[in-house]
Amino acid sequence: MTPTAGLPDTRGAERAPGLRGWLLMAPLLAWLGAFVIAPTLIMLVYSFCDRDELGQVVFTFSWSNYTRVFDPTYLKILLKSVYYAAITTAICLVVGYPVAYWVGRAPERVRNKLLALIMIPFWTSFLIRTYAWMTILKSEGPLNSLLLYLGMISTPLDILYTPTAVVIGLVYSYLPFMILPIYGSVEKLDNALVEAAFDLGAGPVRAFASVIAPLTRPGIVAGVMLVFIPAIGMFAITDLMGGARVPMIGNVIQNQFGQARDWPFGAALGMTVLLLFAATFWLTTKKDPSAT
Amino acid sequence: MKRRLFGLIFLLGIFFGCKEKPAPTPAASAGPGPSGSGAPTADKPKPGKELNLFAWSEYVPQEVIDGFSKETGIKVNYETYASNEEMLSKLLAGGTNYDLIQPSEYVIEALVKQKKLAPIDWSLVPNFKNIDPKLKGLAHDPENKYSVPWMTGTVGIVVNTDKIKDPIKGYKDVFQKKYKGRIVSLNDSREMVAWALEASGLKSNDITPENLAKVKPMLAEWVKLVKVFDSDSPKTAFLNGDVDIGVVWSGEAALLYQNNKKFSYILPEEGAHLFIDSLAIPDSAPNKVGAMMFMDYILRPEVSKLVSEKFPYTNPNLEARKLLTPDQLANPASYPPAGERETFRDIGKIASEVDKLVTDLKASN
Repeated sequence: MTPTAGLPDTRGAERAPGLRGWLLMAPLLAWLGAFVIAPTLIMLVYSFCDRDELGQVVFTFSWSNYTRVFDPTYLKILLKSVYYAAITTAICLVVGYPVAYWVGRAPERVRNKLLALIMIPFWTSFLIRTYAWMTILKSEGPLNSLLLYLGMISTPLDILYTPTAVVIGLVYSYLPFMILPIYGSVEKLDNALVEAAFDLGAGPVRAFASVIAPLTRPGIVAGVMLVFIPAIGMFAITDLMGGARVPMIGNVIQNQFGQARDWPFGAALGMTVLLLFAATFWLTTKKDPSAT
Repeated sequence: MKRRLFGLIFLLGIFFGCKEKPAPTPAASAGPGPSGSGAPTADKPKPGKELNLFAWSEYVPQEVIDGFSKETGIKVNYETYASNEEMLSKLLAGGTNYDLIQPSEYVIEALVKQKKLAPIDWSLVPNFKNIDPKLKGLAHDPENKYSVPWMTGTVGIVVNTDKIKDPIKGYKDVFQKKYKGRIVSLNDSREMVAWALEASGLKSNDITPENLAKVKPMLAEWVKLVKVFDSDSPKTAFLNGDVDIGVVWSGEAALLYQNNKKFSYILPEEGAHLFIDSLAIPDSAPNKVGAMMFMDYILRPEVSKLVSEKFPYTNPNLEARKLLTPDQLANPASYPPAGERETFRDIGKIASEVDKLVTDLKASN
């Protein structure tokens, strides 16, 4: 991220870490090695293997899993996953930004309480909250009963087990991941700069577009990443709220490790998605300095 | 329905599982300890302190587990799955040491072939005598060495007769365009392929590349019509009013019928098959003695009756059946009219083709 105006970055990011630095980093490095690098390498090996009739991994070398990944069926699912994740991210941004802004600008006393309200849902199991949504959205559920009672609809809306339900579930689950980083940026926003914009004659739209949005950009970028990437890989919500019928790439991968018992193919799909993420990340971060 | 959560826990388990391998109970492997002074109990092998039960979701009542723990002091860790294939996948990955699994007949056959099951010491499971003799010595376990039937059942059609008035007789009546978006189906590749085979006049075990190619177009159509795929609890979609018709486990159908007589159960005219879910002990189980104690416990008529009350499949325990009420025995889904029904057989290597076919069809939907 680029340093924000008025906050010159003077920390010694350029210095190479000394022995003490390495020691302090050791737990993190061990963690990364054990839980990121090692599993990724295992997946890489598996992705070139084969399976036997019971579904055990057989160590041979073949490219067949990767050729299957590029079958139109799976490319279509990948595109669909990106599409649903993009909708989710857009809704989260539109809904989450005002909330984050409002919370970030609230008096400090109120602010912490509001933040707590955003966090409270996390205290309940994610699955229980998903089942609660299924109860709300079902044909004979409270939402349909209310709308029918008010006379707004004449037949129950068909929401549960549709893509709409999946997007509702995704937005609900990932909204806090959008709000919190944006809140972090808004909280640090220098009010003087906003006032200056107004003093210089900018209207609310101009002030937002030219001053507030660029200054909170790090929060927005972080929020978009935190929502978009996990949303692509999500499988629990699509399984439960989508009736296991609206497959996202996460479902297909998860299914290979469960019912379909084809770990090598699942690993190949996983590696492909990982490479796609890495490439996108590399491209966006590389472009970053020149953009600002 | 906790399988998603368990999926996550399982992934973590791959890492922790290898570190935490519980030491095999010495009593289980080494036989009776030398400390016994001649008391009759001293001759009995001792069970481990914990029992890892890996079973179908919506199949083992909590009170049965609690009752067993209370009586024996063995802590039961109950983990669930929603298809035989999912169970196999986790069992063979070896992350957890399961003591007791609950596969269907064709999976027992495959596991026996691969020598992955431990033989049962019947002296520890005397209540096996309660099992219906017709369910003993079947093809998947011809010498009764490896499995204890838990429940048997059929797979059939449930219709909400308030919503659907047309006569429904077989699979082809279910998967019709006019019911699009009102159908629930089991999320089970082997089952779905079997239905399509039966609907095409073939046998459920006739799984060859040619036959798979033959039923593929039909299955592709069917998959498009389904609203929910759910093997854990397909009854929920009926009760929530989200579907009106579907193909489900007989026990789920029986629960729906208990709830409301409008849910009628129909055995498909093209051919219905029987499944036999049994308890078996994986070769690698650390607590084999505990597993056999659990088997004997659930074979007691009064315990088996509890299972039947909660999950009304066809009870293979004849003594337990005597304890059921006439109402329970009259439930057409639990105790359908007797008839010749096929059971699934192990199909070997081509199982992977079945998995692939259905996965791809659902994915391209």
